[in-house]
Amino acid sequence: MAGEVLIVAEQVHSEIAKVTLELLGEGRKLADKLGSPLSCFILGHKMDSQIQRVIEAGADKVYIADHEELAEYKTLPYRRVILDELKTWATPPHTLLMGSTTTGRDLAPRIAAYFETGLTADTIELDIGPYEHKAGMDKTKIGYFPECLYANRPSFGESLKARILGPWKDPQMATIRPGVFAQPAKSDRDPSTVEVKKVPVNLKEDDFRVTIAKILREEGSKMDISEAEVVIAGGFGLGSQEGFKLLEELAACFKGSVIGASRKAVDVGWIGYPHQVGQTGKTVRPKLYIAAGISGALQHRVGMQKSDKIIAINKDPEAPIFSFADHGIVGDLYHVIPEMITQLKAMKKDKELVAA
Amino acid sequence: MTAGNKDLNIYVLVKQVPDTRSKAGVNPDGTIDRAKAGKMLNPFDAFAMEAALSAKRMGGPGSKVTAVSMGPPPAIDILYKALEHGVDKTCLLSDRKLAASDTLATAYALSKTLEYLFKKDGKPDLIFCGLQTTDGDTAQVGPEICERLDLTQVTYVEDFKIENNLVHARKVIEGGAMEVDAKLPALMTIANSYKRLQYKTFRGAKFAQEVKRDEKLQKEFVEIIDLATVEADDMKCGLPGSPTIVSMTWKIGVVGGNCEMHQGKAVSEMIADVISEEKETLKELVTV
Repeated sequence: MAGEVLIVAEQVHSEIAKVTLELLGEGRKLADKLGSPLSCFILGHKMDSQIQRVIEAGADKVYIADHEELAEYKTLPYRRVILDELKTWATPPHTLLMGSTTTGRDLAPRIAAYFETGLTADTIELDIGPYEHKAGMDKTKIGYFPECLYANRPSFGESLKARILGPWKDPQMATIRPGVFAQPAKSDRDPSTVEVKKVPVNLKEDDFRVTIAKILREEGSKMDISEAEVVIAGGFGLGSQEGFKLLEELAACFKGSVIGASRKAVDVGWIGYPHQVGQTGKTVRPKLYIAAGISGALQHRVGMQKSDKIIAINKDPEAPIFSFADHGIVGDLYHVIPEMITQLKAMKKDKELVAA
Repeated sequence: MTAGNKDLNIYVLVKQVPDTRSKAGVNPDGTIDRAKAGKMLNPFDAFAMEAALSAKRMGGPGSKVTAVSMGPPPAIDILYKALEHGVDKTCLLSDRKLAASDTLATAYALSKTLEYLFKKDGKPDLIFCGLQTTDGDTAQVGPEICERLDLTQVTYVEDFKIENNLVHARKVIEGGAMEVDAKLPALMTIANSYKRLQYKTFRGAKFAQEVKRDEKLQKEFVEIIDLATVEADDMKCGLPGSPTIVSMTWKIGVVGGNCEMHQGKAVSEMIADVISEEKETLKELVTV
């Protein structure tokens, strides 16, 4: 029988992160296909109340490591606890998934390198299926594998999606962007049938080579663009850093709005990395996405195509973004956006008049 | 030099990637012909190089930076570029057996190369990597090297200083930043919110020219080595050493494809059209 499907949980302030619940939802499907248990590995401090949440999200088994040194994510202590536990398993997990976050992208490669197993980054689709490796250059890989983890991801700069797999060694690993999968419906499983294992925590002095001096989390939606209802995003077409000031004026017209950016705008230093939307930035699914001066390369598209409504503004009528936006406005964004602000303000006034 | 720091032995890992900003080598269907495409220094590695050069200024007067790359022989271009910017010496691991390496195999080959250099040129104090490459986009190689070499690891670094042989770094986390203190030796991956790479130095540019003209200097400053030199196990490199493969690729169809275009009209008219059609959505979201 195939090993477990293991989700390594993330938490902030002792609360399970949304991406973990999303992964449990998708992991449930993979586990059912394999006929394997879906398990969740929680690391943190004072996490007991969260066991219920991961069970509701579909977990059959919970591993929990509770220690004050695990309250905030640190590479080496987390690595130690996970590896110590997995080393005791007779059968390694079939699949091991983590969020493609600053935590998952820091920790998953450590685990993959330890087991010398494959790891696919920034996956957008997962499935289980067969693969046959026929005679090629590498004879050691020949064989038929009925149950492989399929991890699909876009290949950068190319309008292609690639399926990556590695059935030769378990765990088969992938990181998945937050927001790619929906949150699962509440499972009606009886929690008393779920096995909860307390994982021992034996940290060594060597695990404290990095210490946390300060955490600066900007509370609220200002920074965490992946949860905003409205995203106003700018790209290279803004022409300068000043363009983002105009976007901020537009953003001020909406409640719960944040500023997003394409990778090119971040690369040239006009705005910080936390604002980046796309394959190497955040995945957003707001009610409204306004893209100004963004061409809409695949790298950007995979991070925002699930937005409910997309309004794109671009000078170039051939810009790829017009192939998947809901409204395409062809024009100079420096004319279009001020006009949009004026009309939105007028609309609000009308609304108030009606209400009065 | 910042108070209290010893001479620092610094390494920076760099990669040559296809230049997707130029049109060369881009097929009409959007795929890339890697042979024809222009080449450039991975943009993230430019930030790592700036970080390495900054670290050198923070260290004692004997501090030095070595740039290390893996790739086919033309990748020496980025090593000359490194010399031009003030890197002291460079090394390229080049071997046909490295073709088709995935991240695990790449990290193995690079960690063997680093071990070889540590033996020859001294133990490291700091190793810098770009956060990720633009052609692979995985951000995995840095942490995988750390696992192989048991190195202290700080990823997503956007600023740092070194005082009394300790690194104080600010790194990006979800919804903010975290400040950490790390003991040397450490490997840091540098985010694209770090300082941009400064201009070439006059001395560096002159030196790079000298090295290009002098084979003896090349052996020392643009050292090209293969897997045998670094005593790597061939079975852990390239295709046999890669636990993953790309089993298929396919074109991504147009999502939606029902974009309503607004063009050739007065701006005010186009906006009015969009707003009236999306009234329901907008009414709920507008607050001004």
